[in-house]
Formats: sequence, structure tokens, C-alpha cells
Amino acid sequence: MTQSEFLNELDEILGLPAGTVRADRKLDELENWDSMALISFIVLAESHSNVSISPAQIVTCSTVADLLALAQVRANGAELQK
Amino acid sequence: METETLQQQVSRPLQLPDSLPEILRKRHALRKELLKQANLIPACIAILGGSTTSEVKNMLDLALLAQGIKPTFYESGYNRYYEDVLAANPDLWNFKPDVVFIHTTWHNVSSFPKLLESDAEVEEHLRREMARFESLWEKIHTELGALIIQNNFDLPRLRPLGNLEAFEPYCGVNFLLRLNAKFAAYACKHSRFLINDILYLCAQVGLNAWHEHNYWYNFHMALGPTATLALARNVAAIIKSAYGRSKKCLVLDLDNTLWGGVIGDDGVQKLLLGRDHPVGEAYLNFQKYVQDLQRRGIILAVCSKNDPENAKEGFTHPDSVLKLEDFAAFKANWNPKTANIREIAAELNIGLDTLVFVDDNPAERAFVAEQLPEVAVPDVGSDVSRFAEVLEQEHYFEVEKLVQEDLGRAACYASNAQRSASQTAFSNYPEYLASLNMSAEIGPFLPEYLERITQLVNKTNQFNLTTRRYTSAEVESMSRNPGFMTLYGRLTDKFGDNGLVSVLIGRITGKTLEMDLWLMSCRVLNREMELAMFDALIEQCQTRGIREILGIYIPSKKNRMVAGHYAGLGFSCAERNSEGRELWRYAVPEIYSPKTRYIHRITAAAGRS
Repeated sequence: MTQSEFLNELDEILGLPAGTVRADRKLDELENWDSMALISFIVLAESHSNVSISPAQIVTCSTVADLLALAQVRANGAELQK
Repeated sequence: METETLQQQVSRPLQLPDSLPEILRKRHALRKELLKQANLIPACIAILGGSTTSEVKNMLDLALLAQGIKPTFYESGYNRYYEDVLAANPDLWNFKPDVVFIHTTWHNVSSFPKLLESDAEVEEHLRREMARFESLWEKIHTELGALIIQNNFDLPRLRPLGNLEAFEPYCGVNFLLRLNAKFAAYACKHSRFLINDILYLCAQVGLNAWHEHNYWYNFHMALGPTATLALARNVAAIIKSAYGRSKKCLVLDLDNTLWGGVIGDDGVQKLLLGRDHPVGEAYLNFQKYVQDLQRRGIILAVCSKNDPENAKEGFTHPDSVLKLEDFAAFKANWNPKTANIREIAAELNIGLDTLVFVDDNPAERAFVAEQLPEVAVPDVGSDVSRFAEVLEQEHYFEVEKLVQEDLGRAACYASNAQRSASQTAFSNYPEYLASLNMSAEIGPFLPEYLERITQLVNKTNQFNLTTRRYTSAEVESMSRNPGFMTLYGRLTDKFGDNGLVSVLIGRITGKTLEMDLWLMSCRVLNREMELAMFDALIEQCQTRGIREILGIYIPSKKNRMVAGHYAGLGFSCAERNSEGRELWRYAVPEIYSPKTRYIHRITAAAGRS
């Protein structure tokens, strides 16, 4: 999965128009970023790759880029290695 | 591509996607689309949690919308399920819930027995735990009057005493199972109290996915996301059944659905059906499952592309447990399935939205789903060993209670087919009606009929003048209130007992009776049962000094058939507002000659003997 595909999924999770979520956005400024969105992120990231993400790790994230790193989506947009 | 998938789901909004990631990803979009459905039933639901409930609420919201119910939620504070009720939290009381869902798990057991405690001491733990929960339930029942949905107990992920846990009374697993038995006994004795069986769900989901450490330690969510979805679907199914939204009829294809092979090509001998073949055994077991559904009141119909004679021959197979007479409607021809399904609904006098269509052919499924979005079309695949599981997963036929009428219903619809056959033998309709030897038991509500009356009130759509829905508590209180006049009607004929089929409720003000509810099951349509009910109503009015009856007609999408009901009985129209709501008046005559010609009236005692 590429970075832009993953960002599109985050748009969907948050119920925002496509293209709203960008890597440099701060999580606490994201509309609809709540516990349900957080769980949705974990479930989706885990379903796309073999990573296992704990909610405690997400609490340490401050930007969307941090989330992408957790989900092992490369910032340069390369395909995620399964 | 993305949008296309979503649109497909949206055109069939009654089904949520199966996969959890898909639901979570599209949650906002799905919710928006589900909210566009017409005729959503509003419901106030209080979730009283023994753990974190916000995700339970979010999933339940989607699952309920997918069942046609629009919820408004109240959530207790974290683990405040007990205090909220016992302290009568005004927020909860002001919320006036229709349903209280108590989401407790094994984490909420207040005291487990200690190692090697005696049986008597374990009994004492059980008694204390039950007393704690019962005080909660009784207070909700008497002060809030809401339907209670209570989780039974799931199993912990760990069992420190290993297999000993299964049988020693002082062990956790054994203790939880005994508590579950006590919850079940309470549910059997109390109406408006239903169990959400999370013991079954935790086994189905698997304990490792049911309790996910991450979610417990970080959020104190007792259940992981997969488990939360399973729970939400299960609770939504219970609530849907309480609101009369369960399905009534299973429409089945034949070739490769009820038996393996194509009867027209293979002939009856070569069909795969029976224990001597692995696939044949799976078809046999699916037939048995369908037969079980029929026995508990689900109406069966056939919809197959076949020559009718070939299709019928399939049921002569020695291993076919289903017989031709089990089906209330039988459509085997070369017409499009959508046309046949419409005819089935019309013949049985039930709405398209009460049908579930099962066909192994994905093209037929897609066609029906697209053309008839009201019909539920589960994606059963083509592997017969999965058919029943898929049906169960969608909870189509969930019931909150099984009553005697349910057991006879499917057979009754099937014998209706015989009635229609016998009707054609008569040159005119009155002669046919006379030949039915009908008798009706009509009288004020009796306690033993309240469950059935509530069921009819909540699911009758067509012959229903006002489509007002009442809970069993409301029905019970009206039956005891002298300010109301209530009548039920049962109808029997030479083909069998049709059961309790009609309900009238009127509100008395001085010498006037305002008809709050007048409904009848469509299975006895055109039998003059409504006239018999009217005769009984007039008698009651005469006895109680009522001078005038006000009839109300509130049009809905489904009750057009009764638009002329009050005019037909001789009422005159007094008012008609812009929404089509009508008020009709009828002066009760001192001398009245009964309108019933073909129905013999019997007393309640005679009817029950």
C-alpha cells in the first residue's frame, strides 16, 4: 500500500473528504480523531501488513507521519513490503 | 472501484459488510447512507457498562441502522452500570429508555468463591451475585419499564486451575456457568427481560479475539474489535426482534440449493441428497435446518427455474426431509425470479421486506437484490455446508419469544394453500365461506394472550388502521385500565386453528370510544373476521353505555388496503387532514343486527376447551 492510498483510508476512517489528511497534519488538530478512529487505524494497519500495533504506541504519535511510520508505510510512497 | 463497492452496499442497506476492517474504514459513509433509509424506527437505548462502552455504542449504532432502527443512546459512566440504576441517576431517568442494555462481562462478578470453599459457601456467593443483579433488573422493570437486555457471562481467557475449572464448584469457570443458568432461569420467568448470549459469542469468536489484552489494558474495553462487532450484531438482532422487524419467510431455489444437481437434467435418482455422499449429506443437513425453521414458524416458499412437474418430483427423493406440503407457495417456472418473488409475497399477503431469498446462483442473487432491494439476499456462496451459517450470521429470524401460534404458523400458511384450492371448487365466494365452518373466540384481552397480542401489535403493517406500536408493559396496563376497551379475536375453521389474529384497542372518554388500534393478520383476510370483531365491539359498547365510536385511519406505506375500512362499516367521515389522516364517526344503535354471516361466535372458555 502506498502512502497516498493509506492517507485516503485515513480520510475515510475520519469521514473527511478525500485529500484532507496529509502526512504533516497534527493528530490533535484532526477532526473526528477519537478512540473509534484510533481503533479503526489499528485494525486497518494490522490487516494491511503483519505489524502489531498497541494503542500505547499511538499515544506517543503526534503527527500523521508518526502513524504512517507505525503502520510501516514508507514516506516516499514505496509499496509496503508484506 | 472504491465508490462502486460502496454503492453496491448502499443499494442493499440492510446488510453491513462482513469484514471488520471494511466496516471500520467506511463507518462514516455507511452511517450516512443508512440514515437515508425510509421508515426508520426511533429507539432510545441506554447502555449500562461494566467496562468501556463507547466502541460498543458506535458499532451498535451501525448494526441497528442496518436493521432499520434509528437509535439514540445514553451511556453510563465507566463501570457505573450498577450505581446508575440503584441511585436512579436523573440523566438516565429523564432519558426514558425503551431498551436498557446491561453490558457486563466476567470482569464484573463481584465475588468469586475462594479455593476449596464448601458447596454451601459457593451457594452463598451465587445467591449474593444474583441478588445484586436482580435488584438492578427489578428497579429498571418497575421504574423505567424498559425492555432489559442483559449479557450473560463470557469465559476468562485464563483458567489457572486448568480442567478442574470445569467441574469444581469453587472454580471460576464452573461458577460462571452456574450464574449463567440462574440468569437463564430468571429470563424464563420474566417478560421484558432477554439474555444477550455472550457465552456463545465468545466461543464463536474465540477467546483470544474476544478478550484482547491491548484493548483491556489501554482502554478497559472488555472486548476486542472483532468481538465488539459480533456483540453489536447480536444485540441489534434482539432489539430488531422486539420491534417486530424479523423476517417471516424463506424463499428457496431448488437445484444446487436444496439438493445437489439439476433435477431437469439428472433426474431424481441422481440428485446428491442423503448420507451416502459427503455433499449429499450437507444438502440433507441444510434441508433439516430449513425444516427446523419451518417448525418454529418460518414460512417456506420455492422459487426455481424449472418445469413445475420436475421441481415437484425432487421432493419424492427418499432422503428429502422437506415435503411438498411444507411449502406455502411454490413457484417453479421460467419467469424471472423477481416476478415469482413478488407473486409469493402477494399470495402469502406478506411484505417483500419480510422475505429472505436463498439461491446458490450469484447472478440470480444479484438480480433479485438489485430489482427488489426490500428482499434480504444473503451472500450464501455456493457451498451448501455454509448456507445455514450465513443465515444465522444475519440473524434474520431472531425471536424474543416463541408462542404456540408460531409453531402452527408455517403449517397454517401451507394449509391456506389448501383453502385456496378448495375455494376454486365453489362457484361463489359466500358458498366457500359457509363451507369453512368458521368459529371465532372474541373477548377482552386475557393475560395468557398478552405475549401474542404484543407480537401482533408490533408486526402487523397492512391491516392496521393506525400502525401504533406498544410494548408488552403498555398492552398489559391497557388491558387492566377501565379507561380502555380491548378485544382479541381467534379464528378456527375446518382446516385448522388460525390462532389469535385480530386486536382492537379503544380509549373511552365519557360515552365515546376512540379506536386507538384496529388490526388483523392478513392470513384471515376476506373471511369476514373484521365483521365478527365489529359485532363484538358493538356488543361491548352497548353493555358499557358507549354512544359513539370514533374511527381513526392513519395512512402508512403499507396499510392502503384498509383505507375504506370505516366507510365499509357504515362510519361517516368527519375530518381529513393534509397528511391523509382521517377521523370517522359512528353512532352506536340501540338495536343492532350482527353483520357476521359465516362466523359462529364462541366464548373464551369454550374456545380454550
